[in-house]
Amino acid sequence: MKNNLKVQRAIKNITQAELADLIKVSRQTINTIESGKYVPSTVLALKIAKIFDKPVEEIFELEEMDFS
Amino acid sequence: MKNSLLLPNKYKVIGWVIFLLFITLGIFCMLIDFKIQGFQIYNFVGGSFFGDYNLTNEFAVFGITIGLLIIVFTKEKIEDEYISMLRLKSLQWAVLLSYVVLIVLNFSFYGLVFLILLVYNIWTILLIFIIKFYWSLYKLRKEGLQDETINITSSPLKNNL
Repeated sequence: MKNNLKVQRAIKNITQAELADLIKVSRQTINTIESGKYVPSTVLALKIAKIFDKPVEEIFELEEMDFS
Repeated sequence: MKNSLLLPNKYKVIGWVIFLLFITLGIFCMLIDFKIQGFQIYNFVGGSFFGDYNLTNEFAVFGITIGLLIIVFTKEKIEDEYISMLRLKSLQWAVLLSYVVLIVLNFSFYGLVFLILLVYNIWTILLIFIIKFYWSLYKLRKEGLQDETINITSSPLKNNL
């Protein structure tokens, strides 16, 4: 799964730490999600989407390899 | 995801204090056969064979175990789902490695030495968990720091745009 969290953050102009505070996770967790190392739970993905006021699909996207 | 088995973060310090105190007691028990006077049970069953039995080393084992358990079962400052995943991964590692240790011990030591090592083996899972979990957290923080420096240097540019 890929995501454009970094872009969304840039648009809204908030840092990883600020986003982490808003959804009550550690900054490192945001970092691992951005770098694609960690796939967040549905709850966390929905929370992130709510912060950016966008549907989840606009931030998180399935890839070919997710179906294999 | 709520993990109701975990204690609040402030217990971590208590866990370490208990562990360090009792490991010191344990080392004294082992090296100089230290005994707390009067801290014993008297067992007259079977005449003098059992006699009296000092509980100092049992007390040390108890304290070390409780201390390690508290350290393992306390929350981090921010216990989010990624930390929970690290916790699970570390536990899998700990169980697996501890049985690897057991199998190696099984073939490399015999008799009384094996039994003594088995006693120490009761802490292997907890110790490997602690080492693996905190190593993962340390690596995570280090990676995070590097990224933050990039963030800080790039943010003025972003503001100019």
